[in-house]
Amino acid sequence: MTDSTIEEQPETQSPLPRPLRMGEHLRLAFRDLDMGFADWRKWLLLGLNDIRQRYRRSRLGQFWITMSMAVTILSLGLVYSYLFRTPIHQYLPYLAVSLVVWGLILSIVTESCAVFTSAEGYIRQVPMPRSVFVHRMLVRNLVSLAHNALILPPVFLWFGVPVGWSLPLALPGVVLLIVNGIWVGLLLGTICARFRDLPQIITSLMQVVFFVTPIMWQPAQIPPHLSWLIDLNPFASFLAIIRDPLLGTPPPAGAWMMAGLVTVLGPLGTLPIFARFRARIVYWL
Amino acid sequence: MTSIILDRVTVDFPIYDARARSLKTEIMRRTVGGHIELREDNRRLSVMALRDVSMALGEGDRLAVIGRNGAGKSTLLRVLSGVYEPPVGTVRIDGTVSSLTDLTMGMDPEATGYDNIMLRSIFLGVSVEQARRSVADIEEFTELGDFLDLPMRTYSSGMMLRLAFAVSTAVTPNILVMDEVISTGDTIFMAKAEARLNRLIDKTHILVLASHDSATLRRLCNRGVLLREGRIAAFGPIEEVLKAYETPV
Repeated sequence: MTDSTIEEQPETQSPLPRPLRMGEHLRLAFRDLDMGFADWRKWLLLGLNDIRQRYRRSRLGQFWITMSMAVTILSLGLVYSYLFRTPIHQYLPYLAVSLVVWGLILSIVTESCAVFTSAEGYIRQVPMPRSVFVHRMLVRNLVSLAHNALILPPVFLWFGVPVGWSLPLALPGVVLLIVNGIWVGLLLGTICARFRDLPQIITSLMQVVFFVTPIMWQPAQIPPHLSWLIDLNPFASFLAIIRDPLLGTPPPAGAWMMAGLVTVLGPLGTLPIFARFRARIVYWL
Repeated sequence: MTSIILDRVTVDFPIYDARARSLKTEIMRRTVGGHIELREDNRRLSVMALRDVSMALGEGDRLAVIGRNGAGKSTLLRVLSGVYEPPVGTVRIDGTVSSLTDLTMGMDPEATGYDNIMLRSIFLGVSVEQARRSVADIEEFTELGDFLDLPMRTYSSGMMLRLAFAVSTAVTPNILVMDEVISTGDTIFMAKAEARLNRLIDKTHILVLASHDSATLRRLCNRGVLLREGRIAAFGPIEEVLKAYETPV
């Protein structure tokens, strides 16, 4: 190694090599997902630490999650059962399950927007699969769900909700929702890293979704000509496939079909976007 | 076989939130080694951080990265450690990489010393098993004793750095990337830390070090790369590259 070149490179240089083709992008994206699953210790540790960090040094700790949900359910339940003139023993269990499930959906969607931007410190320092940060968000939300779900048994006991054979059917619903969390996290995480106004827009949109989805009100309350509001609303479908079994009724087949459709179309739409921009995320942070 | 191969790597940073006009006036009186240009579509402004950079590093290479502020040193370090995947050109990295740029990054002041050993290790890309195995060594080296059971916010800044340094240097990577040589602690500890860092540098297969201190670069490196406006201006034995850097263009 003696020929160190100091001379300026000529201005007329050979053209730069072509950027990667889509096929190569896709291969790298699948590798990211693959390595992301394999790194389960990392996302488990990061996700659990998120919860610990949030409630460290508070006396109730993570049970504040449970407490604040309980307060919300009780106050809204009392007010709206009166406003809707629905007997409280019927309305409050419905509201409790709805709010717990909606809480999971809402936080998956809103926190998806920040999966990469909030991990800037990691992403800019170490080469880690991007999907690790999506799984971390899902771990965090599953822990929250476990704490919120603690409210349900006492509510069911107190108001004498019959617990039937359909109860275990809620589990596949939760699994399906989490599976969808993966593509939602990859998609929203990627585009929100690029367009920083998007998280605010999505938060506002979710407010609207909250009102048009049967969470506070029950599907039976809606006039027939507006039933498309439920039938075509994927949020309502995911809510139904988890909520209905818990309340002792099998969910409508349409809800399962809608949820299944989303589970197929979501990843199909996400994959090209994530593959194309995965390597670009770090430059946007 | 540890190796890094860069083939015609080009990295540009799109700028979305800056006014093109104000940047243009900035270009007129800049004194840094960077390169700002309009892309072909003439609408988007972007900073060319690296342009057409090719190099091959193998076992035993200790590479000094030299250049003025903004010449692309940090970008090159991030490409060499696998953090930046270049939009154009290819990078092949064979071997485990550890990047010691910010020692405390990833640590959580509210977590205990032991928790932070795990958190920081993960940050470095160390496997959980490896991190567990290095706990005893870190206990011994930091001399923090029972403090490791306390939240890190109770530590003095020196103690915190000791822990961060110990964890960061606990596992030998194949490739070690550093932005300036790290140093830490009081005088007695500093000697101990330097010995530990030197052992790490000796054991690692490839070292990449960016620094403005030519004495350090001469001591630790055998090869050098000089960057100017994101291009390789010189690549070769450390002495020659340092000479090229010190000669005004």
